Amino acid sequence: MTVFVQLVVSALGFGGIYALAALGLTIIFKTSNVVNFAYGAMATVVAMLVWTAQTGLGLPAALAWVLAIIGGGALGAASEIGFMRRVQESAPLVSIVMTLGMLLIVEGLTGVIWGYGPKAIPGIITGPSIAIGPVSVDRGGLLIVGLTAAIGLGLYFFYERTRPGLAVRAVAEDAEVASLMGISRRWVLTLSWAAGVAVTGAAATLAAPSVGLTPTLMDNIAVFAFAAAVLGGLGSLIGAVVGGFAVGILADLIAGYASANLQLTLVFALIVVVLYLRPQGLFGRAAQVRQ
Amino acid sequence: MAALLRRARPGTMARGGAGSPAAILIMLAAALVFPLLEGANVAVMGIATEGLTYGLVTLALNLLMGYGGQVSIGHGGLLAVGAYTTAILATRFALPFIVVLALAGAVTGVAGLLLGLPAGRLRSHYLAVATLGFGVAVPQIALNLGSLTGGFTGLIVPAEQLGSITLGNPVPLYYLALCILVASVLAVRSILSSPTGRRFMAVRDSEDTAPAMGINVGRTKVILFTTSAFFCGLAGYVFALNNAIVEPGSFSFSLSLFFFAAVIVGGMGSVGGSLLGAVLLVIVQHQAVSLGGYSEAILGVAVAVVLLAVPGGLAAVPRRLRGLVAGARLRHPATAGAASLREEPPGPPSPTGAPREG
Repeated sequence: MTVFVQLVVSALGFGGIYALAALGLTIIFKTSNVVNFAYGAMATVVAMLVWTAQTGLGLPAALAWVLAIIGGGALGAASEIGFMRRVQESAPLVSIVMTLGMLLIVEGLTGVIWGYGPKAIPGIITGPSIAIGPVSVDRGGLLIVGLTAAIGLGLYFFYERTRPGLAVRAVAEDAEVASLMGISRRWVLTLSWAAGVAVTGAAATLAAPSVGLTPTLMDNIAVFAFAAAVLGGLGSLIGAVVGGFAVGILADLIAGYASANLQLTLVFALIVVVLYLRPQGLFGRAAQVRQ
Repeated sequence: MAALLRRARPGTMARGGAGSPAAILIMLAAALVFPLLEGANVAVMGIATEGLTYGLVTLALNLLMGYGGQVSIGHGGLLAVGAYTTAILATRFALPFIVVLALAGAVTGVAGLLLGLPAGRLRSHYLAVATLGFGVAVPQIALNLGSLTGGFTGLIVPAEQLGSITLGNPVPLYYLALCILVASVLAVRSILSSPTGRRFMAVRDSEDTAPAMGINVGRTKVILFTTSAFFCGLAGYVFALNNAIVEPGSFSFSLSLFFFAAVIVGGMGSVGGSLLGAVLLVIVQHQAVSLGGYSEAILGVAVAVVLLAVPGGLAAVPRRLRGLVAGARLRHPATAGAASLREEPPGPPSPTGAPREG
């Protein structure tokens, strides 16, 4: 039992990272109905920017974070203006392929600019784990859970309780009618892309100390978080968070009891089973899947 | 993803383009004489055979996407199943090559059938995730079945003999790959003009009206995935011989992305476009390989440029040019290139890409 509890507790850190990344994916999907396959590569750029600001320019961690997140937002906005907007009226598949194209471009250029060798990025909170009975809790993991909860609640408050949030939901519901109400669809999309990349970028930066900062930092995380978002139901904030932690815990339990090499395989097998029983995901709206 | 594909109406784009008999004959002639020019260059022949292999996988994926309206970002996994089947059979048994080839196709077909079972129920991004999971799972499973697959180091594929010809040698392998590809193209064309092919397209065009015509949508999708996988298995056979080693690292997620990109660059719903797209991307990738990270970026730029400039893919280029010429003659530039994805009649935009009701 202790082993089980310990595995679940240790999974919270990565669960939070998956949840945050899935939230970033969800923010973009909510308004544009595009799954941004490039989100992992774009998030890696944010982590790289933190490294450059902290190690290269010697800025304090907090300032480095703020600048990098702004940089990530700019990257997200630029990709929406430069690429996604131009295929907005095409068949939806074209938008997905465009994100795949951006994935190749961003990942390739990240390697060119920052190189392929692993870089050390200091964790924000270090120090010994906290012991609660026989279970030890990692301080970094606690920070990640706290940050995920804060961002998740913040997003929920924004979408459900503020007027700009209402405007975003209006665009998601029916872009044409929303534009008749005087809501600029362009701005909503651009800002959603900026916010989505920024949030996933935070996940990448949190993951970097334990995974190792390379251009492929987010490869596995992006796949797990993608699975998490789908498991929770694409477009659902709660689904993204629940899915993220569920996938994190599942993966940890598989690594603990079976084999770390089988994590992806078994997580996907379980998710396919869930989707088979509930094709719209745990928190998704059935109407979005049915035709 | 049927809903996402529906508005694209592939199949109608390709006529007279890279899919026309003349274009295919020219490509075939070029492919036949190619070894006479470059046969001595082992590296170039390897790349040429890779082009044919990837062309076959892209064709199989285009059958699924362009004609069947489904999506897969896990076809690299199917190629892996074919390649591993070949390597395992070739290292353990002394079977004639045609048996190994047939078994590679059959085993991969079964894998496609298993993949098609959940696909029958899943749509859109959910289907993308299931296929993505399949694509990343296959190399992982291979890694864990070390006694069968050689684990991390993989399996070295022994050169197969056909009479006095060593099939592993560059030029014979190239011609074998070409034969398999030509046979597959003919098979795909005859499938497409058969009732089964029309059922694929009916499911693509509407999963709601297809059952009204007596089509079992779930079963049609399973047949579609199985057929597509069978051709990937044949490609896996050539892949195994061409690489001489089959290891988990060869089948990364980016390989699946490569096939996906090749379908789009070549043109959805175009047989000739699939081959052209795959060959073009193989060339781009190898030309750019010395550029390191730039090669990946260049591939991405190629995809973006095609999407922005020729939304119908390479297969639509001749049509668009004709359209431009005709348009200029009529002094009606607006009618030029009517066959593009972008100029579909503007229906009411729906956030999910499909009508919500019903």
